[in-house]
Parts: sequence; C-alpha cells; structure tokens
Amino acid sequence: MIAVLKDLTDRFFGRGDAAITVPPFDGALKPNQLLEQAAVVCELEAPEDLATDGAAVFVADGRRILRLDAGGPVEVAALDAAITALACLPGGGFAVALDGRSVRLVGGAHDGRAWDAANGRAFSAVNALSAAPGGGLLATDGSQTRPYAQWSHDLMELGRSGRLVALSPADGGAREIATGLAYAFGACAAGDGAWVSETWRHRLVRYNGGRSGSAVVDRLPAYPSRLTPAAGGGYWLTAFTARTQLIEFILREPAYRKRMMAEIDPRHWVAPSLSASSSFMEPMQGAHIKTMGILKPWAPPRSYGLVIRLTPEGLVRYSLHSRVDGTHHGVVAAVECGGALSVLSKGRGRILRLDVAEIERSLQA
Amino acid sequence: MNETLTRLRYRYWPDHMLGEILSKRWTETAIPVMVLIAVAFGLNQAIDGFLSPASLTAASRQAGEIGFIVLGMALVMIVGGIDLSVGSSFALTNFCALFLIHVLKWPVAAAIPVTLLFGALLGAINGILIGYLRLRAFITTLITLIVYRSIYDLLILQYSNAIAGYLPDSEAWNFIGDGDILGVPLIVLVYAAVAIFGHVFLTRLRAGWHITAIGGSRRSAYNSGIAVRRTVAMCYVACGVLTAVAGIFFAARLSTTGSDIGLGLEVTVLTAAVLGGISLGGGKGSVAKALVGTLIVLFITNGLVSLSAPGGINRMVLAGILILAAVVDIRWLKNRHRIISKVYVSPTYHALPPCPSTAPDSDTAFAQNDKLRNVDAIGLGRIEAPEDVILDRHDNLYAGSRHGDIIRFFPPDYERMEVYAHIGGQPLGMAFDRQDNLYVCIGGMGLYRITPERKVEKATDETNRSWRSVNDDSRLRLADDLDIADDGRIFFSEATVRYEMDEWPVESVEARGNGRIICYDPNTNSTHTAVSGLKFPNGICIASDGRSILFAETFGCTVKRYWFDGPKKGQVEMVMDNLPGYPDNINLASDGNYWLAMVGMRCPALDLAWRMPGFRRRMAKRLPVDEWLFANINTGCVIKFNEKGEVLESLWDLGGKNHPMITSMREHKGHLYLGGILNNRIGRYKLADADPGYVQYDKRWGKAS
Repeated sequence: MIAVLKDLTDRFFGRGDAAITVPPFDGALKPNQLLEQAAVVCELEAPEDLATDGAAVFVADGRRILRLDAGGPVEVAALDAAITALACLPGGGFAVALDGRSVRLVGGAHDGRAWDAANGRAFSAVNALSAAPGGGLLATDGSQTRPYAQWSHDLMELGRSGRLVALSPADGGAREIATGLAYAFGACAAGDGAWVSETWRHRLVRYNGGRSGSAVVDRLPAYPSRLTPAAGGGYWLTAFTARTQLIEFILREPAYRKRMMAEIDPRHWVAPSLSASSSFMEPMQGAHIKTMGILKPWAPPRSYGLVIRLTPEGLVRYSLHSRVDGTHHGVVAAVECGGALSVLSKGRGRILRLDVAEIERSLQA
Repeated sequence: MNETLTRLRYRYWPDHMLGEILSKRWTETAIPVMVLIAVAFGLNQAIDGFLSPASLTAASRQAGEIGFIVLGMALVMIVGGIDLSVGSSFALTNFCALFLIHVLKWPVAAAIPVTLLFGALLGAINGILIGYLRLRAFITTLITLIVYRSIYDLLILQYSNAIAGYLPDSEAWNFIGDGDILGVPLIVLVYAAVAIFGHVFLTRLRAGWHITAIGGSRRSAYNSGIAVRRTVAMCYVACGVLTAVAGIFFAARLSTTGSDIGLGLEVTVLTAAVLGGISLGGGKGSVAKALVGTLIVLFITNGLVSLSAPGGINRMVLAGILILAAVVDIRWLKNRHRIISKVYVSPTYHALPPCPSTAPDSDTAFAQNDKLRNVDAIGLGRIEAPEDVILDRHDNLYAGSRHGDIIRFFPPDYERMEVYAHIGGQPLGMAFDRQDNLYVCIGGMGLYRITPERKVEKATDETNRSWRSVNDDSRLRLADDLDIADDGRIFFSEATVRYEMDEWPVESVEARGNGRIICYDPNTNSTHTAVSGLKFPNGICIASDGRSILFAETFGCTVKRYWFDGPKKGQVEMVMDNLPGYPDNINLASDGNYWLAMVGMRCPALDLAWRMPGFRRRMAKRLPVDEWLFANINTGCVIKFNEKGEVLESLWDLGGKNHPMITSMREHKGHLYLGGILNNRIGRYKLADADPGYVQYDKRWGKAS
C-alpha cells in the first residue's frame, strides 16, 4: 500500500524511480576528444567486434574474421552467417557468435564445437564472448525476446531477459550464471568470478558463483558494453552511447513508446543510436540547434563514443571520448595489444588506434 | 476514439490560461478574495442573517476600527518591518481620547488632533528605534507592546472611574461614535477615503514606491538614494496615527477603558494582513489586500461569536489561520516562479497527416538534392543571425544581425560591409516601400522604419488588446515578417503572443495558435489585428492580385491566403497544407511564382508527440529546455511554388553543412540570397534560368531598375 502510494507520489513529483536525472560526465569521466582525434586504422563495412590473442588484433566484419596487419586487414576466416561476437581462444582459434543465435569454435583444439542454447533456452542475441581462465568461455545473451540487431527494441520494451552464460569447450557444457539481466552486453573473467555489463541498468555486475550479483560500477552516464582486460591490470569498458534525460523520460512514458514503436521507423525513434545524426527525420533536442554553424559538443548525446579504463577494483581511472559534435560514435569494442588500444566505432564503421602510454601521458593519469 | 477525446479536450479547455493567470500579479489578491467569498457564503449558510444589512452595519463599525490598524500594519509590513505594539497603542490612544474629552473636558475638535499626535508619538518611538537606531522590529515592538500596556494599566487604575463618571454632551462626539450618512456609518466613509488615498499613495506616489522598494530590497533602495531610515521611521509614525484613528472611533463608540481593550489585537491584525496576502517578508502588499484580510478575519471572529464559541477558541482559530497563511505566504513567494514555469508551457493537440516523402528517389518536387551545398558564403563569420536579407536597386545587400544592427554589404563582391542602421533589437523580416523606406520587423520591439536618410523611426509597437486574452497582447512580442500592399498598408506577422523572441522554439512544443497577423496603416498611423489564432505565422507576401497576402504558418506546416480587400475580404483559404517542413519567409520570384524557405523539416517523433499533448506537457515539466524534443531546424530547404499551391522545385543542403537553417531567401538579378537566423553567413546561389535584371521591389512598385 505504502509502496503504491510512494510510486504515485513519485510519479507526480518526478522523484525516486520517476526521476530522470542522469549523472554528469565528471571526475574521471570528464570529456575529452581523444577518441575523436584517434588515428583511423581502417574503415570497414560491417565491423562488429574486436579480439586479440596477444600478438595481433582481429576484427569480425560481417561474415569474415580479419587480422589487422600493418599493411591492412587480412582475411583469416569466413563463415556462413554474420558474426555478432568474437573471442580468441587461449590455445589458438576463435570463438564466434553467429547471428546471435549460436556460438561456434573455429580452429583450435575443439574446432567445430557449437552451442545454440543454454539451460534449454535458445540463444537469441549473443553479443559478446570472452575466454575465461581454465579454458572456459563466457558469453552474454543480450535478450531472450529480441534478436541481436533489435537492441533498441529491447530497451524500449524495458527488456529484462539478458543472461550471462558459461560455456565449456572441453565438454560442450553450457550453464547460465545469471538471468533476468536488463540487457547483458559484454563480460569478462575477473578474479574467481565474472563481471558483466548490465546495459539498461547502466552498471557492471560481479558474479562470484552465487545467483545474485553485486554492482561493481554503478550509475554510469552511459550504456556499457564489452569489457576486455587491460595490460596494466584492470579493464577496458566500452559504452556504445550515453544516456540522455529525454530517453530516460521516454522510458517512463509507456503510451508514447508504444505508439512510437508501432508507427515510426526504428531509425527515427527517440532512442539511443550508434551513429551520429545524418537525417532530419531523427529527433532533435533543444541543444542540438546548430548556432553559427556549430553543433555544441555538450548537447544531449543521442550517440556518443566512450571508452572507460577501469582499475582492477572497478574504479574509473580515465576515459576516452568522442563527443556529440564528433562521429566516432557507437564504440562497442576496445582491445589492448602491444601497448596500443584498438577501438571499434561501429557507428562510423572504423577501427581506431591509440597509444596507451601516450593517452596516459596526455591525461596525466 | 481516445484521440478524439484528447482532441476535444484540448480544443475546448483553455490550458494555457492557468499559467497566464498565475503570472498575473492580481492572482495574489484574487485568492484571498475567493477565500473571503467562501467564508462569507459558508457563514451565511450556518448563521441566520449573517449578511443582513443590520448585521453588516454593526460589523462594519468594528471592521473600520480594525481596518485602520490593519492599514497601518500593512504599511509597516510592506516596508519590511512588523509592529506588535498596535494593540497597546490602540488602548493608549483610546484612553487619550477619553481622557481629553471626559476628564479634561476638551472640545472634540481639539481632542482629535491631539490624540492623533499622541498616536504619532507612540509610532515615532518605534520608528526612531527601528528606523534610525536600526533595532530589530520584532523585539522593539514587543518591548513597546509591554511598555505601552503597562502605562495603560497604570493610567486606567487612576482615571477609569473619572472617565466612566462623565458623559460628554457633544453631538459631534456621538456622531463619530454611531452616526451615519445616508445609512453608511461614518467610519466606513472615513475608511474608504483613507483607503483610496492609501491605494493612490502606494501605487502612484513617489513615497509609496519608496516604501515598496525598501521592503523589496533595503540595500538596493539605499544604493539608489532612497532615504531608507526616514522612510522606515515614517511608516511606524503612520501606523501610530492610523491606530489613533481607530482608537478615536472606538472611544466615541463605546467610551470604555476596560483592561482588556486591545489585548491580543496584534494577532488579529497580523492575521488579517497576512491572510490578505501582505507578505511577511516585505515589499509586497496593497490596500485591497489589507481590506480583504480585515473582512475575512472579522467575518470569522463574528461568526464564531454568533456561534457562541468561547473566546479561547476564537483566538486559537485566528492563530491557526495565521500560521497557515504565513506558511502559504512563504511557500508561495519562494515557489511562485517555479510553479509558473512548470505550468506555463501548455502543449495542445496538433495532428498532421502523414508527412509527404522527401527522399532523393521519391520523384517529387521535394526530392532532396545538394544544390545548396556549395553556395557562396557572404560575410562568413562577420555577420550573425541574418534572419532576412534584402537588396536594393543598387545591388546593396541588407541583413539584420543579432546585435541589433542592419548590416549593408556592398557589391559586387559583398566583401565590404558597414552598419547601415542601429536599432537595438533583432531585425527579422524586411521590405521596401514605394518611397524606399526600409520597413523592418524587430523581435521584441515591433515594426520599425529606416528612411533613405538612415533615420530609424518606430512605425508601431502595439495593436488592439483582445478581450479573450489573459496576457496583455497589445504589445508586440515577436513581429516576424511583413509585406506592403499597394495602398501602403503593411501586413506583418506576430509569431506568438505568449513567448519572447529567444523562446520561439518553445512554440514548437506548444503547437498552439498563439500568433496573429497585424495590419499597420501608415496613412492613419493606426494598427489593428487582422487574423489571430495562427500557429506561428511567419512569412508574408502580397499575392499577385494585390488584394490578398500569402502567409506561412510555421508549426501549422501550411501556407494560407488572407484577403484584405475585394469580394472575399476577411476570408482565409488554404494554399498548401501538410508541408514536409516548417515554412518560413515567402518572397516573390522573378517568374511570378513564390519562393518559400523551410526553416526545418518535420520528424516523425515530433509529429507523434504533437498528437500527445500530455506527453509534451510532462516533458516540459520534467526536462530542461535543452533536452526537449524540438522541431528539427538543422536542415532546411527552399522551395518554389505557384499561386495554386503547387510545388515546382526545391533546393537543399542536406545535413545542413553549409546552410544549417534557412529562414529567408531573396531573388535578385539571377541570384538567390539566403538568410538564416542562427547562421553566421549569407548564402548566394546562382539561379540557372532566372531574369538577370530582376529587382524585387522595383518590380513591385513599377519602377525601372
């Protein structure tokens, strides 16, 4: 009874859960333009994920796996479906997710092993794979109700069906570690457990064997995605777009959301986007008005580029940005290899490279 | 079905009036008046004959006495103080009057001035202590309350028998006590006179303004040279005098010096003042508020007495009301602007048909292209916010700037520029009349004229006030674009009567018909509103028949025609509806068709939001303006249409790289000049097959170029 009353008063006054405040980019998340100014390695048609085996960086581009050599990308494998996640296996070979519906091993000791379900429930949107110590494999299945490409549908439906799955290449086992996540997008082994990005709740959650997790990083001003280990200890966390108050507001407006989903082309929804605005059919907010020919970088980000460097404890050390006036948006993967950070801007279809030592020097981190 | 209800509800329920009413200063008086009516009505139901003339006459004598003291208290509160000693002063002045007449047997004519002086003296003690010695008003008057009361107690001990033992035989004294003129008690007449003077004093006279200024901000008042100390002291003196007036009437009416006279009166008076809406914080208050407060308090106390409630209850009720009123007063003062800003934006239902396609492969006149991507930029970085551009027959290019200037660029390369005239407000639409005067709409100022000698003159800045508007809509807020009829009459649009110029995108969230078209006649120097209730009327162009204008409704996404002469005079007719963008200025093309600028293009998310006013209202409440869903005005285009409303061609700059926003265009000698209100350049586009000798206003006025 009291909870119902509180809910009603909260909604009337815009407090509590009805509040639409978004944390500011502040402290270690202070904006810079490092990502925007980063060197462009190559431009690809449909890049989806990055992986590294410690010697080279690999890209999943459409149905192909490419190796980024100094001379340019070289194809190392081609598959029969679009790759939605890629990981390098410790003993050589890759793990790939195909169309989000199955996970397959390519090369290595268990070449050809495949999974298309865990705990009897079929995969729907496998979007990240990560090798775990002991030969295991972590996979995140973003949503049980929507395929990989329809992640914004899942957000607009307040999806709560993501899961974290442990795969065992040795015996072909598949076990759910966590279910009911508000979109799971990216996981990484950490200590004796795993960290997973719970995207729609803007946090990283730690699972140490138990069914319930605890938040490692909470209240991010962005939507976190894939997570990879950093060379100096800690992690690289990408965020594919940042939060805005308007979208938080839309998420509390069921009637509008329902009609929007029914009547409007998803490209023109009031929803986060991977790529910078290219059409006037997309919604425009007050601060987006170009004044004297300039789009303000601090305008509300419908799309944004962000990589966050985390310490081993999960504190934010520093961050790399491409702001609203830039285009290196929709960053979904970042891997460190040989002192260089490779970043995938899916929104722009580009691979970027930054020197980690140089970043840290310029940020005096 | 649901949507029909929404449409009807927003059509017939005037949501926008709430914010407008709340932003009126008279709401602060209106609320106590409503309380007064409710109290009077309620008590009249409960008590027989509560509002009967006899009962009212009796009550009015009491009301007058308290009313005078409330006026004094109001004055002191407005100047930022408080006077708790009014009850004791009242008792003392009552005693003074009775002592002079009953004991010293003075004539009334002498006793009254002396009593008034005595009241002034009592007030002056407070005034000197608080005004000059800067003591705290609360503590000082609390002390004088006790001191005056003690003096009164000592005096009545000695003289009450003497006062009670003598009855003065004075007609005048009796007349003051219970006389009336034409059935109206004398005290009411005197009160009315004082109240009228008080109202004039507070609202129209210098001293009254000083008082309000001091109460509003003592330091600012001091800094602007107001004699703060003297004014404050004089307010207390005035309060003493007004209390003495009340004391005299009371003395004449009852001739009694009971020990409980004036006891607790300060609470009654304070309650009346606060209840009427006189702020405890100072700087706010009026005579009307004092009167309303007095009546409410009196009705309540008399009502309780008639219901034979014990005195304790009576005072408790008053104290309770005082607390309540003080809380409301403080909360209201603190939150008034927040409340108004939350409720002022009141979106309405606005449904448009599905947006026509503008896709590059759509094979329509609207199909997107990149013709404007590489236009020349004139004055890049040197001109800011040229909403409209115009050229004269010598090829000089004129444009407004947000610094309030009209800038002139010189041909042939338009590199050299000068300030042609400084006006002070943002220049918007422009037009030349037959005598080469440049008429300019200035946002926030009105319609101005620049003579060929570069003299700036105001043409008009007000129109007739409409009866149905709560906001004063006689002043022009956002004169936008204009054109001039053959007889010299100027028709110009005013985009909104609810917002200031810098808030114009808020109109896209509200989507109500807040704008109008106004006619200014330079021959009679008169202005009147021609059409109202338009959704952001913007561009205006005289049609080829010379009897009608074409005008654009930006957020209505339509172009309409209005006849100001001829058989269809006064009628409005649709020319183009359901445009894919937001139309802005309209100007003549050399081939007899019309150019229309699209300031922005429709986006489906806003089209949907326009059908959901509740959604937009909550958005306006919850989100900062920078986060609101706005009409997309980052990409625009220019179209050419004919009088039948057929679109002939369109010119685009996709993605808004070079010309993010186009608010105006002007054809001149084979080129199209582009203006944009948020741009820092003027565009110049070479037209392929246009009349190379075309000068718009020379053709318009039949002059050879």
